[in-house]
Amino acid sequence: MTRRSNASVAATAGSILIVGFALVAIFADLLAPYDHTDQSRTLPNAPISTIKFSDEAGNFSIRPRVLAPKMTDALRQTYEADPSRYAQIELFSKGYTYRLLGFIPLDRHLFGTTDGEIRLHLLGTDALGRDRLSRLLIAIRFSLIVCTIGAVCASLLGIMLGLVGGYAGKVLDTVIVGVADAVIALPAMIVILAARVAFPLELPPLTAAVLLIGLFTFTGWAEMTRLTRGLVKRTRTLDFITAARISGVSGTRILLRHILPNIARPLLTQATLILPAFLLAEATLSFLGVGLQEPEPSLGNMLAAASDLTQLREHAFVLLSPAIVIALFVLAVRLTNSGVNTNEDREVI
Amino acid sequence: MRISACRRCSRQFYSPVLQFLVRKVIQGVLLLLITSAAAFVLLSSAGSDAFTSLRENPQVSAATIEKLRASYGLDRPVVERYGAWLGSAIRADLGESFYFQVPVTGLVLARFWSTAVLALAAIGIACLVAVGLSFANVRSRSRTLSALTDAVILLFASTPRIVISLFALAILVYGAITSVFWLSAVSLAVPLVAILLAQFNQSLGDAMHEDFVRTARAKGLSETTIILRHALRAAINPALTIFGLSLSALLGGSVIVETVIGRPGIGALTVTAVRNRDIPLLMGVMVVVSLAVWAGNTLAEVLQLINDKRIRASEAE
Repeated sequence: MTRRSNASVAATAGSILIVGFALVAIFADLLAPYDHTDQSRTLPNAPISTIKFSDEAGNFSIRPRVLAPKMTDALRQTYEADPSRYAQIELFSKGYTYRLLGFIPLDRHLFGTTDGEIRLHLLGTDALGRDRLSRLLIAIRFSLIVCTIGAVCASLLGIMLGLVGGYAGKVLDTVIVGVADAVIALPAMIVILAARVAFPLELPPLTAAVLLIGLFTFTGWAEMTRLTRGLVKRTRTLDFITAARISGVSGTRILLRHILPNIARPLLTQATLILPAFLLAEATLSFLGVGLQEPEPSLGNMLAAASDLTQLREHAFVLLSPAIVIALFVLAVRLTNSGVNTNEDREVI
Repeated sequence: MRISACRRCSRQFYSPVLQFLVRKVIQGVLLLLITSAAAFVLLSSAGSDAFTSLRENPQVSAATIEKLRASYGLDRPVVERYGAWLGSAIRADLGESFYFQVPVTGLVLARFWSTAVLALAAIGIACLVAVGLSFANVRSRSRTLSALTDAVILLFASTPRIVISLFALAILVYGAITSVFWLSAVSLAVPLVAILLAQFNQSLGDAMHEDFVRTARAKGLSETTIILRHALRAAINPALTIFGLSLSALLGGSVIVETVIGRPGIGALTVTAVRNRDIPLLMGVMVVVSLAVWAGNTLAEVLQLINDKRIRASEAE
């Protein structure tokens, strides 16, 4: 009893996290205070902005101020807060123009500063002085969209082949199972990397996204196929299927109307388990420089900045913030599925 | 199951392990042929090779590039090239790397060996943690420990290698731990710990309710002996399945761990091959990796056969 309630608490927590991620993906532009490509050459690798809940005299004020950073060492890129220059933090401040949900033109952002010159960097800036939080939010959107579409495509292909394999003749079944087993046996990451070479290494963002989705579909369908095929084989011997067949229902109709709805639940679970694997694959590819490339941000190419050891030493937390986002997402999916008993545990890459 | 007499005679002539090995070898050869052919066709049909980048160089004329391609045999049809590649691959000659300018076979095997040692260390770490923690869990039957085990499983399962290896890099930079090998091994081991621990915890817990454990208790054996000698043996087979499956995950994981931490191995080599479009090297990597995965899976299954007589009996049927 306690186990089950624990599991349901975990599932609720996971669902809340997932909804949070979805909201971030949908409203990334609204949440991002600045344009993610906007560079500031005077503020490279700036630390997290200093926020003060007090006015200049030192009295408490409910309205926070953000102090402007002042570079103290241009070579080591160290900063300190300048108490004489500051701006107020405000909600729904005016910023760059974007399209909310893709069609509502808007120039308000959830938070910002009253002075455009003095910016609020909650995660500091990167090597080109771009606001890291804004980049992180846009990166979450890109990564989530790519891996969701990838998971949908891979699942659809996998389910289709599984249905065919489970219901069609023996020859087709053997071929499908053989190929699926080969795909499962090989390390997905190495296969994806090898397949990636077949395309130019540097690609515009949209092409890169399509290519990533293609690669994920190409390597991710096999487990879904094996699961679907097994379930179809088990279901097709049941009485109600025999009854349907005797009453003259066509094979396609039996598959889609009678078998598929009955095996939908485990398939859905498997589909959600593909999601974190694809997110990781995307992050890995972009980290290695063969996924989404600069200036567009993705969780992986933002992490590539952490390979700079001097920077990592100075700003470990902000540089590793995309890694924390990745871990949170994987955790969220795990928690959501914790109540469901899965047959095979898919190992994260 | 059909006729018992027939089963008996088949057992006389073929040992089930041998029969199994023959089937596995056929499967392995097929796997190698399919993957190498698919990889070869995909990589060579893409219309880009190691000389593609030369086209952007104004000092190199198109004629020179064509001559270069011809000297490497890149102008011949794909099927012919695959045949040639396969012919020499059988003689363990995988060609020459464009980027490193050395024979692929030696290079890939050396790097593979380095990763294999790392993977073995990772498996060792994962086993120690998994067996240790689940043993303590079953032995003490404490609620707190059980909750801790569940938390470790969840936390480790949701910490991907890209995250853990970056944190390992941060540790390396701060100088807390300086051994690149052990940090890489731990980074590689973390997700495996979660899976193994979940498995051992489950099957050890289940085995404690089995009849053979009750018999052992009745004989007056100590609880520790019962767990380590009897219950653990029952838990080994599912774990072996996991080892077989996680080999490919370990090799895939080495890509990120080795690149981030900067340790030469098959993963880092793959990345170098991709960045430099070194197709012979990439083919070599694919062949060695497929071989390794196949060998690992076969080994795991043979060990299962040896460990559990019941499977041997059912295979013979």
